[in-house]
Amino acid sequence: MDRSIIEQFGSWYLIIIDSFLIIGSLIFFRLSKDRKTKIFYWLPYVILAFTVFYENLGAYTNYNLEFKKSVNALLGNTENPNYNLWVFNICFQQITTILYLLLIRNWLEPSKKKFINWMLLIFVFISFALQITGIEPLYLDQPIISAMGANMILIGSGLYFMGLITNQHYLETEPLRLISFWQMTFLLFTYSLTYISSVSYLYLYEFNPDLGQSISQIDMYMGIINIGILILIIASPLLPKVFLREPFYEPI
Amino acid sequence: MNPSEDQIYVIIFSTLFLGGLMSTFVVAMVFIHRQRQAQNKQKLDQIKSEHEKTLLNIENEIQQDTLTHVGRELHDNIGQLLSLAKLYLGSSKPEKQQEGKETINQVISEVRALSKNLNLDWVESLTIEEFIEQQLQKIESTGFCKTTFEHSIELGELPKDQKLVLIRVIQEILNNAMKHASPEEIKVKIWKDGATRTIQIKDNGKGFDTSIESSGSGMYNLKKRMETIGGDVSITSSIGNGTLIHLLLPN
Repeated sequence: MDRSIIEQFGSWYLIIIDSFLIIGSLIFFRLSKDRKTKIFYWLPYVILAFTVFYENLGAYTNYNLEFKKSVNALLGNTENPNYNLWVFNICFQQITTILYLLLIRNWLEPSKKKFINWMLLIFVFISFALQITGIEPLYLDQPIISAMGANMILIGSGLYFMGLITNQHYLETEPLRLISFWQMTFLLFTYSLTYISSVSYLYLYEFNPDLGQSISQIDMYMGIINIGILILIIASPLLPKVFLREPFYEPI
Repeated sequence: MNPSEDQIYVIIFSTLFLGGLMSTFVVAMVFIHRQRQAQNKQKLDQIKSEHEKTLLNIENEIQQDTLTHVGRELHDNIGQLLSLAKLYLGSSKPEKQQEGKETINQVISEVRALSKNLNLDWVESLTIEEFIEQQLQKIESTGFCKTTFEHSIELGELPKDQKLVLIRVIQEILNNAMKHASPEEIKVKIWKDGATRTIQIKDNGKGFDTSIESSGSGMYNLKKRMETIGGDVSITSSIGNGTLIHLLLPN
């Protein structure tokens, strides 16, 4: 077997998240037909599958350097053909942020959903404008888009927590037994810490690569926890003794 | 310490600070949730106990009214019939004695009818429409004023607590109209607009100034009672123009 393949795809992180996708798929396809069509279940599965896909794509770009080089050239990056930041920018900073905003929207009380709709529109429009105008090219660090995405997730989490302490439906329930509570808590941590690491990433790799490596590992651990929670959302109908029904989720 | 080391410390500090801030935020939210949950429970218990108190008051008022009615019936009707029966039975004429026996039979059936009023079971056997009809008939029979009753829908079987409150509220509105408004006509209407069922009681009496609080706070009581069952009341009136009351029933 090619040593490079083992190096790139055999890391503990990729093995764990690939296993999570297998477990998530087994659980998702065991769900009833009705449940599979509910956004509450299919959206976490889409996020799970997409996360595993782009992490593997990142590994593939480090394995197939020619492919990475040609994509960089296509995007206009001839200076640093070894960068694969475009995978992170497109997949995590933009698409995953949009998917998580949709997931948060799903958990908000109906009157607050419109804020997420506006945030989604603004996020898509500004990200597009920043990239088209060349202010934040796809192949370089994107601190504005990253900050905007992180702040929107934080605002979305804030809306969720506001609902948790004011809405009658949430006040009647036990938050520690709501899967949405744990997902929002870890999203809050992931996006705030990922924001710090993404703005200091290039700097740390230049001056203190060890610390850069450590901080980037925070993202990995948080990523694994988030994926784990996505699996728990999909599996929640099989664990009725552990998790309570979400207050704004229409039962089948 | 060189500048790059400084910046590294800033990054470490920021990461730890942000992590701590987020942890504090989430823990604070859980604490606030617990606190509000307890407050909410207390509030719900209070509402429940107020609801029960209001229902108890209403039951007491209805029982009080019933006892007054029974007392009046015993004195004015049954008492009179028994006196008459005593007279007939004391007579030596056989036809009078026969009449006395018939009067006793009449007394028995009157007592039976009266005993039915002594508990609140009649509330369950009567619909709101039947109750309104009975009340309006009573008003008409006294020759006090004309009455009309229209209903485009049937309210159907309502829960006992809702029925009790509605009966008492309707009774109070009709009594108020008779006591204070001296109307020539009282109109009652029931209809449904969307999901809202409404009972309208309208009189063409004296009317009153709704901006002046009444000493008996009767209007406040009406509102409070309707709110107890999840309904509402709206009152439109002005001096010389009669009174229009809408009782909005809970969905």
